Amino acid sequence: MTGSGRDLGSVPDLAPNGATPLLEAQGVRVTIGGTEILRHADLRLEAGELVAIVGPNGAGKSTFARAFCGLRKPTGGTVRWSGVDVSTIRGRRLARLRAFVPQRAQVPNGVTVKDAIAIGRSAHLKPLQSFSAADREAIAGATARARLDGMEDRQLNTLSGGELQRVQIAVGLAQGAPVLVADEPTAQLDLGATAAVSELLRDLVHDDYGIVLIVHDLALAAAVADRVVVMSDGRTIATGPPVEVLSKEMIGEVWNVEAELISHEGRSGLHVEWLGRT
Amino acid sequence: MVALLAAVGASLALGAVKIPLGEVIDILTGKDAPGPATQIVEVLRLPRTVEAILVGAALGVAGAILQGALANPLASPDVIGVTGGAGFGAMLIILLRPEDIGLLPVSALVFGLVAAAMVFSIGFSGASGGGVGRVILAGIAIASMFAAGTAALIAAYPDRVPSGIFFLVGGLTSDGWTDLEIIWPYFAVGFVLAVFLVRPLDRLMLGDDVAASLGSRPRAIRLTAAVAAAILASAAAAIAGLVAFIGLVIPHIVRLAGGTNNHTFVIPVSALGGATLLVAADTLARTVRAPIEMPVGPFMVLLGVPVFLWLLRRVV
Repeated sequence: MTGSGRDLGSVPDLAPNGATPLLEAQGVRVTIGGTEILRHADLRLEAGELVAIVGPNGAGKSTFARAFCGLRKPTGGTVRWSGVDVSTIRGRRLARLRAFVPQRAQVPNGVTVKDAIAIGRSAHLKPLQSFSAADREAIAGATARARLDGMEDRQLNTLSGGELQRVQIAVGLAQGAPVLVADEPTAQLDLGATAAVSELLRDLVHDDYGIVLIVHDLALAAAVADRVVVMSDGRTIATGPPVEVLSKEMIGEVWNVEAELISHEGRSGLHVEWLGRT
Repeated sequence: MVALLAAVGASLALGAVKIPLGEVIDILTGKDAPGPATQIVEVLRLPRTVEAILVGAALGVAGAILQGALANPLASPDVIGVTGGAGFGAMLIILLRPEDIGLLPVSALVFGLVAAAMVFSIGFSGASGGGVGRVILAGIAIASMFAAGTAALIAAYPDRVPSGIFFLVGGLTSDGWTDLEIIWPYFAVGFVLAVFLVRPLDRLMLGDDVAASLGSRPRAIRLTAAVAAAILASAAAAIAGLVAFIGLVIPHIVRLAGGTNNHTFVIPVSALGGATLLVAADTLARTVRAPIEMPVGPFMVLLGVPVFLWLLRRVV
């Protein structure tokens, strides 16, 4: 488990051996239309770990993810990818640092699985440049990774929710970034598809990808994450291994529900006192 | 491509005077001795056919990139105000300054671009600026304003309206290269922008967030696409009046026929399809009641709608 024990300090250096974290966000603030949505959010991500950001609706999880991915300009704080300030990175360079998998996939007509994954890879091309053999290999690799072999010619609008989510992840993988940030990738999925996506994400972590998952389901977070970050009211208030951080007291304070996380030998569940009845 | 070549051949050969295709080719390659046929082909029909190709291609491309950028199947140059603006600019000259009719293309071009600029300044400003809904609503408002201006002009000068009908329904004229000499740079800029928009528009298909994840800026893509479409549609209106239909329907025909929404396919094929349809329709408009020339609009619909409906039935 990673956590405070692996604090190597913030060396402003591009050392590839992990001395600098893949991502380090400190004191990030975002104000939208005069309202402070994000007040103070921190996050640190190393290669080969999966961090889940959990918190109630409206806590600022998605806004935080968009801010550290460079999709929305923060009003304060710093975001560094491998030591480089995100506000100085644009275009193709930014695309190669992180892939953002959005919550609601847009499902256009007339686009095949293969087309979509190739569009993901197009982040590597200069304007008007065409795909090289290496690019085509990366597209095939992303397709295989997301277990979409044999589905390349299917239209996106004929896929199930689980298949579509795997395509979204494959688009991100084709981008060739070491970090994948996924906003509620399993929110619309049934149990089987959720398990398949979780397994895919864990496989990627095993291959040294860094993954940030925004997730509602605390039991799922406990099962897949190396570390959770709890957000409440625009702030990151705690971080650490799921079973330690998601205590009865924390859940009561943040979600106002009496519940307890049970985690044992790779199985996890949430015991909730639903209606105050005994 | 074959259809376009056939339409071009017919366009050069047919008309009030029919010239055999072999002779047309001889004239174009300079083998034929100068004569009346050479005059007809080189001075009248060649410029007109080139105009039809450019206008048709421009409108097809404008529609394809707007529908892609606004993710709206009903988008066409109307929704960014170009048609309304160009119509007003043209009627201003036709009704108020008929003696300066030579200024018509310039006035249509300028007012088309002014209307589009007004739409963009409203649609792309503010907190939700650059959103699809805002741009389309701004477009509808500005277009109604210019339509009202055109209606006011028509009401004020009812006796001069007949000379404006040809512009309002769209039609090409056989007046040589003069218009193209002024307008061609706008076509060139529009087509070059369209080439660079192919890949960004593909990314936008997967949603703004995915496009941003891939390092693109969705608002910038949308603005560039709208500007390119405005330039192409204004230039087209300057040459051929308000040719409706191509900008809206050709990209749909192309998508239905090709079974893909990839812009690498849709944009160039919409250019070919728009050019083919306009050249063919213009040839019909010139020949059906020769030597009287009819406006091209109805013939385009006559050729295009059956194809469109057939594809729609086959796919859905």
